[in-house]
Amino acid sequence: MRETYAVGLPRMDLAELTGKLIVVEGTDGVGRSTQIKLLRPWLEQQGHAVLDTGIKRSQLAAKGIQQAKEGHTLSRITLSLFYATDFADRLENEIVPALRAGFVVLTDRYIYSLMARAIVRGLDPAWIHNVHSFALKPDAIFYLRIGIDDLIPRVVFSSGFDYWESGADLYPSEDMYESFRKYQTALLAQFDKMAEEYDFTVIDAAPDVRTVFAQLRTGVSSVLSGEPRDPLFAAGPVQHKGEGAGDTSAGEAARQEETLSPPAEK
Amino acid sequence: MKRYGEHRFPGKLFVVEGIDGSGKSTQLMLLHQWLQSEGYGVVFSEWNSSPLVRETTRRGKKKQMLTPATFSLIHATDFADRTEHNIIPLLKAGAVVLCDRYIYTAFARDVVRGMDPKWVRELYSFAVKPTAAFYFRVPLDVAMKRILEGRSGVKFYEAGMDVGLSEDPEESFHLFQGKILDEYESMIPEFDLTTIDATLPIENQQVQMRQIVKAKLAQAKRLRVAP
Repeated sequence: MRETYAVGLPRMDLAELTGKLIVVEGTDGVGRSTQIKLLRPWLEQQGHAVLDTGIKRSQLAAKGIQQAKEGHTLSRITLSLFYATDFADRLENEIVPALRAGFVVLTDRYIYSLMARAIVRGLDPAWIHNVHSFALKPDAIFYLRIGIDDLIPRVVFSSGFDYWESGADLYPSEDMYESFRKYQTALLAQFDKMAEEYDFTVIDAAPDVRTVFAQLRTGVSSVLSGEPRDPLFAAGPVQHKGEGAGDTSAGEAARQEETLSPPAEK
Repeated sequence: MKRYGEHRFPGKLFVVEGIDGSGKSTQLMLLHQWLQSEGYGVVFSEWNSSPLVRETTRRGKKKQMLTPATFSLIHATDFADRTEHNIIPLLKAGAVVLCDRYIYTAFARDVVRGMDPKWVRELYSFAVKPTAAFYFRVPLDVAMKRILEGRSGVKFYEAGMDVGLSEDPEESFHLFQGKILDEYESMIPEFDLTTIDATLPIENQQVQMRQIVKAKLAQAKRLRVAP
């Protein structure tokens, strides 16, 4: 049965959440969403229904967070709790129902980014861990790891320096470059710390998109085939070519017809 | 990040707690008037009033989108905003801050909704510990009578309709407030709440409150503002 990190939520039944919860973590601009855009069709081609979700996409809180951030007046505890609200809303209303329906849930960031940001802003690690301790433990966490010197050119030549991604609230006297460098260096250190604590699968994100995707695909394949397998499919990963049947584990076999039939879109 | 009990400010923080209909808001208003007339710099802060979060809370309630978890977290967000932008700066400046409802309201409601009691307490551990927290103790029937006479119907979340205690709003309200009352009772020793008998005449309650507040303010220096 699935577990949360510590506390349960009222009326959240953890039994029979047969889908897979796969997290893609990494800092701002590292290429998470690009990878998820590639992962989703790849999974769907194999017959997996996919829900993709990510931070600040909840029906409840997304708009409020956006408006509050535009004002640049959010203090650190308030910001952290607003994001936790957004996360809880998506966990209960999107992630858990999708897992119950047997979907592969791909989430662009999870609680780890939220905790790293809070800790870098000086909040008590024990406090922020408790706030998120109702989160479900994922089946895998792929951490796209990059060094600060490889990260900077990516950001400069794509979106540019963003106020919050540069931690400009933390270093108001610095220019965006200095601020980005300091803030992201601190964030990366937090991610590295969490990589051990939460058993991240580390993927080197410095190479080109295709190379990173190949690594990610291998990782995801092993998660999806990681369950006790039906003897019929015991032959191994060769089965992948056969219209997605190879990824069907024992527990999923009966459900395969169902997961194949509905369209992947919500 | 300073935790509950670790803040040291020149200002003073007084809060009132109790179930709906306990008369706590009336008492706080009377205290406010008195402190002002005595020349103190007083500021009033209401539960659930941060402009930053208000719209989200309002929408969540109106559309009944809130679960116990999101109900808890959105109120904590609101409270954090008020703490960081309002309560702490005012206390630093030496003001007397009055709060109608405080973290104990959240503890009572969230736990009745099924949230883990330890989790909720840790969630609010950034809160400033009040100089004194008054709990207006009243039997459920007395409070219910005061409320149901005075207004037309209770709102969905107010009645705890999301908890599923009863289909009938009035009955649900009754059951829900009864559970909240139990939570308050257990918090009296836990948080050293100052209990006021809310069945006494209004004037008597106010006299008790002023005596306690006066004693706490006597220990503070330079709190008076020029008239």
